[in-house]
Amino acid sequence: MRRIIFNVLMILLAFTIQNCIFPLLPFLSASPNLLLILTFSFGFMHGKEAGMYYGLLAGLLMDLFYSGPFGFYTLIFVYMGYVNGIATKYYYEDYVTLPLIMSIANELVYNSYIYVFRFLIRKKMRIGYYFTNLVLPEIIFTVVTTLLVYRLFLILNRHLEEIEKRGDSTIV
Amino acid sequence: MESKRSKYILIILTVFCVLLIGLTSIHDEWLTPLRTGVGYFLIPIQSGVNRAGSVIYDEIVDYSKLREALEENKEMKEIITQLTEENTALQAEEFELERLRKLYDLDQEYGRYEKIGARVIANDSSNWFQIFRINKGSKDGIKVDMNVVAGGGLVGIVTDVGANYSTVRSIIDDSSRVSGMAMQSGDTCIVAGDLTLFKEGRLRITTVMKESDVKDGDKIITSNISSVFLPGILIGYASDITNDSNNITKSGYLIPVAEFDSIQEVLVITELKADMMVEEEPESVEDTSAESPSEEGTDESPSESGES
Repeated sequence: MRRIIFNVLMILLAFTIQNCIFPLLPFLSASPNLLLILTFSFGFMHGKEAGMYYGLLAGLLMDLFYSGPFGFYTLIFVYMGYVNGIATKYYYEDYVTLPLIMSIANELVYNSYIYVFRFLIRKKMRIGYYFTNLVLPEIIFTVVTTLLVYRLFLILNRHLEEIEKRGDSTIV
Repeated sequence: MESKRSKYILIILTVFCVLLIGLTSIHDEWLTPLRTGVGYFLIPIQSGVNRAGSVIYDEIVDYSKLREALEENKEMKEIITQLTEENTALQAEEFELERLRKLYDLDQEYGRYEKIGARVIANDSSNWFQIFRINKGSKDGIKVDMNVVAGGGLVGIVTDVGANYSTVRSIIDDSSRVSGMAMQSGDTCIVAGDLTLFKEGRLRITTVMKESDVKDGDKIITSNISSVFLPGILIGYASDITNDSNNITKSGYLIPVAEFDSIQEVLVITELKADMMVEEEPESVEDTSAESPSEEGTDESPSESGES
């Protein structure tokens, strides 16, 4: 329970930082996609169903921020949580290579989704330009952030789990 | 058992999202209550974080600027003596300019519009879209399609309004289309945002008639025939106007007046073009019938999305 509240707060915090702090830093030509990192790591750590719910929350926040068709971001984030949740059987605490590869894959899928449904649909064909100028910097930033944030999560989550276990055992 | 249940939930959520996407692309106004509700909760957080962030950031910037300023100060003092001399000469010319401006009625027209100030509290952090959120909403009298200016030039248009916030799409967004015209010749054109250009700080100007007289350096302002943009707001300056391969139209680039990478405060013009047109309708019916209102600037707009 405590872990869920913690994770939900993390998503809210990530959303605010992403939209209110990063744009203030003009030297960042791109910024890490924190919501994406959180969604896929929660899916990866806690399984399909949990990943889906966290994805739902992250997606809804994004949809409420943008004024386009509602549900656009919710859809991709729900799937991201779910699909990454499948990989949860390979989840092994100190193993960081897999999450890094997954963050690249997720960024690629996420950005292609935006490109196809928001740009290609309007006959904007310069995919090479978009890739080198938008997608690639974001992937690099996201991977670096994953490297830092994922470790932190593992430690915090382990901590919370321990507290929970201790709490359970005292009741029982 | 668990995986089956999560599969069902996934399917339900998918259907729900797809339905919602379909519904809201037709009726966006259905979501206003929801967005407003969440706004009450989220906007104070965003405002707070934004304020804290900008305070810290400003402090750092101030300190580094102080050093530069001290050095500059020395140089400036020398320059001042030179400038005072030049200034007297220029002042004489200034009076002349003022007279001529009045003569041509080129006095900045949008000065007469009612405006309210607002603070930018959130930006889109990904580079795909150029939208931002301001801390004034329907409580302050802001409505959808109101024009937003900053730094003397057009910045964007309000696309979504909650009680205490509104979302603005800037004119450099890839889907933005503004109907503009050259200030001197009155020739119309379309000013379009382009993702591949915004890093260079430029926009695209398209569909300028070949015989029209738009030159590099011309002031481009919002045109009279636009359905959502008020007339006479400065957008920027034309540059690199060349003939298109189809030999009918010309196109080029526009350097905007507003600086988009450092917008913190904006002014929202609280007049709507739609209201203006209702008042003027008896005189100029053809303007309103030329294009359906509130369509301009969106992707779907047939009249103003002429992309080659």
